[in-house]
Amino acid sequence: MWKKALGIGLVTVMAASTAACGNSNSNDKESAPATSTASATTSASPSAPSGEKKVIAYWTDDRHDQEYIKQVIDEFNANNTDNIEVELTVLSENYNQSVDIAFSSNQAPDLLRLKSANTGTFVKKGYLAPLDEYMTDELKAKFSSVILNDVNVFGGKLYSLPNSGLTLRLVYNKDLFQQAGIANPPKSLQEMVDDAKKITEMGKKDGVYGFALNFKNPKSAFERSVREILSLSGYQGLGFDFKTGQFDFGPYSQVIEYFKQMQDDGSIIPGAETLDIDPMRAQFAAGKIGMYLSFSTEPGVYKDQFPTTINWGGALAPTLDGQIKGTSEIVSAGTWLGISDKSKNKDAAWKFMEYMHQDSILTAYHEKGFGISVVPSIAAKAKQPDIAGMEGFLVGENDSLWPAAPSVTPEGANYGDAFFKYVLSGGNLQDITADLNARYNDALSKAVAKGDVTVTPDPAFDPGKL
Amino acid sequence: MTRWGKWRENSLFLLPSVALTLALGIYPLAWVLRYMFYEYAGYGQETFIGLDNFERLWRDDDFWASVRNTFVFAGGKLLLTIPVSLLLAVILNGKLRGKHVLRAVFFMPTVISTAVIAVVFYIIFNSYNGMINQLLLTNGAIAEPIAWLGPKFAMLTVIIVAAWGAIGNYMLLFLAGLQSIPHDLYESASIDGAGPARRFWSITVPMLGPVMQIIIMLAIIASLKGYESIMVMTEGGPIGKTEVMYLYLYKLLFPIAGSGTPVDQQFGYGSAVGFATALIVGVITAAYYYMSRKMNKVY
Repeated sequence: MWKKALGIGLVTVMAASTAACGNSNSNDKESAPATSTASATTSASPSAPSGEKKVIAYWTDDRHDQEYIKQVIDEFNANNTDNIEVELTVLSENYNQSVDIAFSSNQAPDLLRLKSANTGTFVKKGYLAPLDEYMTDELKAKFSSVILNDVNVFGGKLYSLPNSGLTLRLVYNKDLFQQAGIANPPKSLQEMVDDAKKITEMGKKDGVYGFALNFKNPKSAFERSVREILSLSGYQGLGFDFKTGQFDFGPYSQVIEYFKQMQDDGSIIPGAETLDIDPMRAQFAAGKIGMYLSFSTEPGVYKDQFPTTINWGGALAPTLDGQIKGTSEIVSAGTWLGISDKSKNKDAAWKFMEYMHQDSILTAYHEKGFGISVVPSIAAKAKQPDIAGMEGFLVGENDSLWPAAPSVTPEGANYGDAFFKYVLSGGNLQDITADLNARYNDALSKAVAKGDVTVTPDPAFDPGKL
Repeated sequence: MTRWGKWRENSLFLLPSVALTLALGIYPLAWVLRYMFYEYAGYGQETFIGLDNFERLWRDDDFWASVRNTFVFAGGKLLLTIPVSLLLAVILNGKLRGKHVLRAVFFMPTVISTAVIAVVFYIIFNSYNGMINQLLLTNGAIAEPIAWLGPKFAMLTVIIVAAWGAIGNYMLLFLAGLQSIPHDLYESASIDGAGPARRFWSITVPMLGPVMQIIIMLAIIASLKGYESIMVMTEGGPIGKTEVMYLYLYKLLFPIAGSGTPVDQQFGYGSAVGFATALIVGVITAAYYYMSRKMNKVY
């Protein structure tokens, strides 16, 4: 009995250690990311890696460009002379969470897709390696004019290089506008409310509604809509006031009043409160939605993900009073790739990163419409993307980069949930706004005191001069 | 075998369970008990803040709303799950053609991933093109789509989905309990003139007492802790109407940022909320177990 038990115990231990060994190598091709959200991986050379081969794991949450990125990685893997192999993992939702889990379990990738919204947090968490030692004079000359503090540079160290940014626009169904007798997309929020009502009255019997957003996650919905309306109206789009260095959701609440009006009018598609972005796009592609606001990824989405025959376009977002007093913020700009501080192959990762930032790839990225280049030398020579609808999203005189607003986590509901609650069920908007101001500024004070955030009020800040 | 040999053998068999419990249960629990007195975002400085997290918990209306929602969700799910699974078990324990196939059919939802079930039901219930609304609209039963996942009906919908996924499991447990009841009792009662209803209430229900006590306890714990299908279908929305306490806790530890700006993880406050939720579930379970102790007595 004792021997039998010992035998079973040994088998169990061996099985466990075999499994553990199988997962211990972060460069193992079989190893999965920390969560099960991975949707695609690619590798050009299927042969087993030799002892010399350096395998670089690259994680991204970009889905719209994955075919192109796979293609350039395959070319790199086939042609590089340093015996480097890059493995791409495309994650879908909860990218930041997956990265957190990967770093905490020592399974971090070597390269990460960075967005301007998460770079600062990743730097604070110690995930990223500085790039300063790799920067050549040529690279400095190419990127220096678009390298920004608190976007690429933190604490005097460079962590990423720019590629492209996203513009935000009103996306509208031209056919529905025409059928409802509306000549042009709305320039003011009141026009947007009126147009949404007209389209709904005209098409409700066929399941057509004037307006929609992905309100399953209200913060995400507002950050692709209110953000742009506010920046074009002359206010920072996430509720921050650069002049005072404090949060002030007053202007935000003015926009929210118009959203509530559309809700009360019945102009928002039923069920919008549980809509994710892709189901909403599917409804737009089916001609059921008059308009919404979103990023310049939409033309690519309607070319590949939800091919549509409807006649649609992008236009500048409406403003509070129809007057443009600021500039349309180019978002997710300034960052693209970053190297993990935990990577054992930083030099190899940099070689791939350098390859990705060469002119031909950055130019093709812009021309294929995956993002709008913010690198001056690329923007000057690249052809405009030939994708239906992209003409409405191109960078123009009303677009610019904005300084980064501080990111804080307040106690209680975030502004997206708080304002959406008002849109659906009403309440006292002044009290809601005052409560948000108090909670966000309290969180800001604490973050400043801890040294997580630095804020310098700029009384001379002029959004019209950005 | 000597006493020492017996002890060694027992220890060896216990070792894997004890090691796993220590590593995956006790060790993380110790960290939770520590972090609930700290402010910590997963990076940077850990700041000791005493009982501040519990003071915040006390005045956190959103948390207490999630506790209320949890009770509604758990109560609704239990009211649907227990009677229906018992009824199915009784029917499928009788003389019925194809009962083995039907048992497999009713058990099937239990082996399907909760996330998959939730996605399928989202497609069925969504307002804009869901199957139920399409059916009702086509038949003229309704003039406008009903927002099944809107503020008014979302809780009812997630209860139905959660119950649908759980019924097969409890049905199987009830079936096991029913099959342990001696058949002689039913035959004697029939000879004495007892009908099906009398046999059910006077034999089946009392004899199932001990099994039912455990099944209901498991169902209570599962209902209080359940949040997966809700996360997929509504993410706790709209406007917090389906935010149950474990989903609220999950979002503090793993914020759902979508494509928006990131939100810091709140390990300190999350630990305090985790402790409070575990306490609530523990107290309710213990109270139920105490109050239901008579069910354990089979005559």
